[in-house]
Amino acid sequence: MNPLALNAQLIETLSMVMVITSVAAVEIRRLRLAAVAYSAQALLIVGLLLSFAAVNPSLYWWAGTAFLTKAVLTPWFLFRFIGKTQERELPPLIGFAPSVMVAAVLMIGFYRLTHSQIALLAPTEMAQQEVFRTNLAVASTVFALGLYCVLTRRDAIKTVIGLCLLENGVHLSLVSLAPELPETALFGVATEVVVTVFLLLYVIAGVRQEFGTTDTLALKELQW
Amino acid sequence: MSEQIVTVTSSLPAAAFLVPLVGGTLVFLGRKLQRAFWQGTALLASGITFLIGLRMSGQVLGGAVLTTWGNELRVDALSALMVVVIGGGGFLATLYSVRYVTQPGLLTRAGAETTARRMPTFYGLVLWFLATMVWGCVTNNIVMLYVAVEATTLTSGLLVAFYWDRRALEAGYKYLMLLTIGITFALLGCVLLYASAAATQQIDGGKALLISEVRHVAHLIPAGTALLIVAFLVIGFGTKAGIAPFHPWLPDAHAEAPTPVSVLLSGVMIKMAMYALARTVSIFYPSWPQLTVFAVALGTFTMVLGIVMALTQDDLKRLLAYSSVSQMGYVLVGLGLGTYLGCYGGLFHLLNHAIYKALLFMCVGAVIYATGIRKVSELGGLARSMPVTSACFFLGALAIAGFPPLNGFMSKLTIYLALAKAGLWWACAIAIGASVLTMVVLVRAAYSVFWGSPHGAALAQLQVREVPVVMWVPMVFLAAACVVLGIFPQAPFPLLDKAAAVLATVGR
Repeated sequence: MNPLALNAQLIETLSMVMVITSVAAVEIRRLRLAAVAYSAQALLIVGLLLSFAAVNPSLYWWAGTAFLTKAVLTPWFLFRFIGKTQERELPPLIGFAPSVMVAAVLMIGFYRLTHSQIALLAPTEMAQQEVFRTNLAVASTVFALGLYCVLTRRDAIKTVIGLCLLENGVHLSLVSLAPELPETALFGVATEVVVTVFLLLYVIAGVRQEFGTTDTLALKELQW
Repeated sequence: MSEQIVTVTSSLPAAAFLVPLVGGTLVFLGRKLQRAFWQGTALLASGITFLIGLRMSGQVLGGAVLTTWGNELRVDALSALMVVVIGGGGFLATLYSVRYVTQPGLLTRAGAETTARRMPTFYGLVLWFLATMVWGCVTNNIVMLYVAVEATTLTSGLLVAFYWDRRALEAGYKYLMLLTIGITFALLGCVLLYASAAATQQIDGGKALLISEVRHVAHLIPAGTALLIVAFLVIGFGTKAGIAPFHPWLPDAHAEAPTPVSVLLSGVMIKMAMYALARTVSIFYPSWPQLTVFAVALGTFTMVLGIVMALTQDDLKRLLAYSSVSQMGYVLVGLGLGTYLGCYGGLFHLLNHAIYKALLFMCVGAVIYATGIRKVSELGGLARSMPVTSACFFLGALAIAGFPPLNGFMSKLTIYLALAKAGLWWACAIAIGASVLTMVVLVRAAYSVFWGSPHGAALAQLQVREVPVVMWVPMVFLAAACVVLGIFPQAPFPLLDKAAAVLATVGR
């Protein structure tokens, strides 16, 4: 695989835009807009996979799978669910301004940390080369943002979006860490994310019906 | 142990998970048919899985390792033991459910019509749940191991929320969300393990996915990366196995699911996750034996936290669920030691806990079936009206407390001896202390529910009767197993011995 054949500028641009859309998906309070940001993020992943496919044709399959599962099915489930509910998410545990600051710190911190400590995370020679290095740094940043979203948001729908970001981060890291992963394994990983999102939204619909809200702090029936 | 191992190509590993998978699909396709069809299919499929497990154990004891689809599926003694536990637990839970689910309110907490409508979904999901658990134990592919463990969450998520009321939905949401987050870490761990193994250039890319091959190159992985992989795997599979502090989903899910599902979750599923943890982390033991102390510390923390939390519970099912957390601590301590004796004790305890925790959950289910009550403070004096259930519960309680000559005593003793032999006296003392607490918690609950004077107006108005035969037969069978394995601990020795040898990587 010759990384020189890759369009590094395109990949870096797509990566940066992807981090921004991830922050947008976490921070935008209007749920529909947050889902739009998530969808854009998913499309950028597909774009990134296609860019990397120039040196690894099996990534075309990955891009196809990611398009179907992440950019079509998951947004469809999210929009169907959000369509019936209130427009804005419930106030998260952290206010908007401090949350944006935390997200920014996470974004810069994780990006720099992964980029400088790449040998720890990426044992292969290929993954330590520049474009793949950026890819891994972006993947870990998206992962951290997803985890942050899941931990600090009260609205169950927002936690699902956070979970999707978390999974997208891992998925993206596979490009550098496991480029020779067979399609069956990849298909299994990608399919499960969609099924998880579907099941979670199905259960959250039940929660909304029974509790009258999607506030996870209202789930207090089972304590200790 | 310089015995020659022969690799044999066999279709049994594939059949072990395809049978319940196809069975579950048939139940979904035949959802318009009668109850007898769904239950018959579930019994047949889980029974066949158990028999396949026994058959594979027989072949493995003969010195063979069974493989399918190249080396994609691989059954050694450890995998065969797990398939026996999953198949046996699945069959008995299904048998128990045959009458349990007919009681309106026990499957759906709703009327008979809703119960009947939901029943095929219940059996279909139970069979798929079994299939995914077996798949996880027979796969040799590191990424598929993650896929299978996550698949067990997906197939059981709706079973946990099956009652679809406030409590069940809360438990279901937490279950799906927390386990998926946790398991995502395991995916990172699995992928890093694969990438690191491939980077050693001692094995080619495709083979770096196979756990049996990765074992041989684990020592070449850089220490920092290895530590990161272990941390991710412990968080990921440890969450699923109910290891503290990643356990908060467990008491909710195990308590709120319908009882036959609780039997599967507590009796079988957490063991399967522990298997995944042991299978993957143990490959690093020869190069980094310091990991053993970390595993033992985590295990002792889990056993103490679990039993202290159980002490404060009034709800019988939550009490049992917390006790499961504690018992998984014992298994982790045993397997985490990495010595032959530790692994033997850990696996023996895994088998024993599957038996008596399934038994105890079935007994509590029987109490709920007969009275509709599950709070210790509202029950009492049931021994006269429910003699079989009462005897079985006492036996299970004594077994889990490690009372001689029952099976729990044997496996706990093995773990204590292993700890002492490794010089970890502090852990040995904590384990014995936690065992005494287990005795207090379980025997006190048993006394209160079955012998204590009846409490509460609700119970006084009830005509309590023993549960139907088809429910107590599995209970009596499991209670008998507690006694037999306690008196004849040599019975499972051949299989446990070989299975422990697979995991034992730190001295002997």
